[in-house]
Amino acid sequence: MDRRNRATWLVTLGLLVAACGTGGDATTTATDDSGGTTTAPSTGEGGTVRIGWGGAPADLNPGIGVLTEDYTLYDLVYDSPINIDLDGNFQPELATEWSVSDDGLTWTMKIREGVSFSDGTPLTAEDVAYSINLYKDTEAFPLLPSYVTPFVAVEAPDATTVTLTTADPLPNFEYRMVAMYVLPKHIWETVDDPTAFTNDDMIGSGPFTLTEISQSEFVRLSPNPGYWGTVPTVDEVIFQTFDNPDGRVQALINGDVDMITEFPATAIANLQGADNVEVADGNYFGGRLADIFFNVVEPENCPTEEEGGICSGHPALRDVNVRQALATATDKQQLIDVVLLGTADPGLGLVTNSLGDWYPAELEAADYVFDIANANGILDAAGYADSDDDGIRECPAGAECGPTGDLTFRLNYPTDNDEHPRVSDMLSGWWNEIGVKVEIAGLDSDTLTSVCCPSFDFDVMLWSWTSDPDPESLLGVLLCSEISSGFSETGYCNPTVDELYAQQQIELDPAKRRELIVEISRIALEDVPYIIPWYYPRIQAYRTDTFAGWQVGQTILSLEDPSTLTVLRPAG
Amino acid sequence: MSRSRLLAKKIGWALVTVMVVLTFNFFLFRVLPGDPAKAGVKDPRLSAEAVEAARVRFGLDKPVLINLDEGPWYDSQYFRYVGSMAAGDLGESYAFKNRTVGELVGKALVNTVWLVLPAQLIAIAAGVALGLVAAWKRGTKLDVGALTFGLVTWSLPTFFLGILLLFFGSRWFGFPTAGRVTIGAEYTSIWDQIGDIVHHLFLPTLTFALVLLGEYLLIMRSSVVEVFSEDYILTAKAKGLSPGAIVRRHGFRNAMLPIVTLIALNLGFTVSGAIQVETVYSWPGLGKLTVDAVSTRDFPVLQGAFLLLAISVIGANLIAELVYLRLDPRVTEV
Repeated sequence: MDRRNRATWLVTLGLLVAACGTGGDATTTATDDSGGTTTAPSTGEGGTVRIGWGGAPADLNPGIGVLTEDYTLYDLVYDSPINIDLDGNFQPELATEWSVSDDGLTWTMKIREGVSFSDGTPLTAEDVAYSINLYKDTEAFPLLPSYVTPFVAVEAPDATTVTLTTADPLPNFEYRMVAMYVLPKHIWETVDDPTAFTNDDMIGSGPFTLTEISQSEFVRLSPNPGYWGTVPTVDEVIFQTFDNPDGRVQALINGDVDMITEFPATAIANLQGADNVEVADGNYFGGRLADIFFNVVEPENCPTEEEGGICSGHPALRDVNVRQALATATDKQQLIDVVLLGTADPGLGLVTNSLGDWYPAELEAADYVFDIANANGILDAAGYADSDDDGIRECPAGAECGPTGDLTFRLNYPTDNDEHPRVSDMLSGWWNEIGVKVEIAGLDSDTLTSVCCPSFDFDVMLWSWTSDPDPESLLGVLLCSEISSGFSETGYCNPTVDELYAQQQIELDPAKRRELIVEISRIALEDVPYIIPWYYPRIQAYRTDTFAGWQVGQTILSLEDPSTLTVLRPAG
Repeated sequence: MSRSRLLAKKIGWALVTVMVVLTFNFFLFRVLPGDPAKAGVKDPRLSAEAVEAARVRFGLDKPVLINLDEGPWYDSQYFRYVGSMAAGDLGESYAFKNRTVGELVGKALVNTVWLVLPAQLIAIAAGVALGLVAAWKRGTKLDVGALTFGLVTWSLPTFFLGILLLFFGSRWFGFPTAGRVTIGAEYTSIWDQIGDIVHHLFLPTLTFALVLLGEYLLIMRSSVVEVFSEDYILTAKAKGLSPGAIVRRHGFRNAMLPIVTLIALNLGFTVSGAIQVETVYSWPGLGKLTVDAVSTRDFPVLQGAFLLLAISVIGANLIAELVYLRLDPRVTEV
């Protein structure tokens, strides 16, 4: 056989072999390969919604999931006792009503009747109690146990009642129940190790069931016909992974997908100009913030060597005057306009403006106003003069001044974010004008975590946080007790803040709790271990010509949520 | 030395090289700062108990090389690794919990081969053919055109070419923007399925083939030009052989020698995936798997992917040496 024929033969053989191979490796959950008569996905009355996102779920087991995409999937396949709506209000889901005893220590939930799991088994209070106990008792579950640690006992005295007992009063009961995905006890109690259970079938009571999943490629869901609420109109929902943000945007414009959950701010103009495409904006559940923070850990609070403490932070940053000067030399609005093209709201503190009433709007007047002259004045008054005239200030006489003997700080940020390089440049420019120099270095997230906390081996860092829908969620970073755990990024330690935090944890009166939280925020603003430049908007885009019913124009934007997907119907 | 003893010696050395690479990589990954037990998760809800439980599950609480604490001296990460490898167990991924490395790497490998192999073959065939033609018509417009084409495509950044082709391909020709197959499609025949796969493969393969093409073109061209200047070609012409016969019988085989080396090297590296093409077209191959594994410090997946790469490159080179033995009669011992 001469060369040409051999090559052709090999290629054909390869195609045939691989064609057989591709069919088998695609799925981890079987679908019926009956082989229909069409070559395109079936379109019944309801249509197939295609959603493009940038990541992919990694775990089908709600106990071990850590990615946003994991939770998107759990929200569609499972129910929890209480839901949070797009205005941030708590609504009944599996629990029709709930109340607390007079002493504030026993909560009672009434569980909805007539609910079944997708395999037909009825759902009762026993499943609810079992699930909450499973999350509480499985220490190896990464995230969900933290919601239910305060509960001492969780029981189901009858088929429609769940009682939960706490040692102290709990002000945020509803918020904790939102993440309690109710699992079928009859399946999970047979599992040896809940952490190792892959849960490929995902039997839940939610509006959708999992049809097919191909790791890192796509997820297919179809309506749960036995769902107790509004059974979705659409025939199918497909989430497709687009690693390339440009490809994702192009897919929406071409009509290959009906909605994209995220895209870079630079694509907004392009999308707004495209036909039949709308760009919507709103808030994240709980809010998402960008932050600039300083290493302020005092030597006596430094974690031990065994715990990983290095504590190499510049001593000048422990002086509140220096931090206040830096905050006064940071133009939040300018950062937003240049880096985010003006799309974000200016930040204030760790309690975001997506948290409704909890947001301490009254403190906005006390925030630092950008003023270089003022900032210079603060440093002059505090004794930081530029004695050698090199443009960088030195510390007051006798004070420790770091390895360079002047106000030169290391600035680090995670490289997985497009905004940080620009932000660092702008900060560097302003801070130079007040006699402070920064050495900028981007690091990958894992490396950044290893220099941040609890090793405290940095000076200034840029990062971001997504808050849960409760004000207490991020305030924990300010606690002394969190310095050695790695949750505290700054090493900030103020016994007053610790005391106020402990009080708000058990304060049932919302007005009093708010007062405590505002006071914590006020102290944090004054001591400024964090500068919060902005609160990110949630921006998504969708097509107007394929489906109608997209839930936009409310406080929170989350088009991949059941709130949209259960009511979506074909357009026109 | 006889042929079979030579072969055995070569395979032996190849195995030793693979082991050395594996050991080196094992320690290299552990030099990276960062904690695999957290897998890049920075979350206030993450409890210390869960992180510790993960660390124990991954075996990261054991010493790295030799166990000087309680228990046998070989109860360390390295020897556990060697032991499980010998038993054929590549371990479980840290990031995709409860999924085996074999499963993840195997699936990614199939996807990568689907993309990279056709692209390599097209690039080799087209590059060699164009290089040959360019050399034959040396100095003409055809030669200049081919040379320019080769240089331009070889120097274009892959992701840039990919994004361009994606934009025009999807807009003007209706090619898909991502993925391997049409999701949820039901096929009436095997040809429909092949057609769908080819439809999705077209743009990524084209991108990758164009980028690789230039290298083969340029090397083939210069190799042929050099061969054509040899005396035996002049003799063949004097003997009255047609140009076609000269190329077929004398020119081509000699000019192919450097190409064989190049093909072996490139095919070996096939397995490292085409990270840029895979990202632009959202193709779930080995390149993407490896990069993700680096950012989550997923040691088992990294070890598995690099094992595959080592075997592939070292194996391909071994095969190239053997092919050389056959192709070039001047070589009796390589």
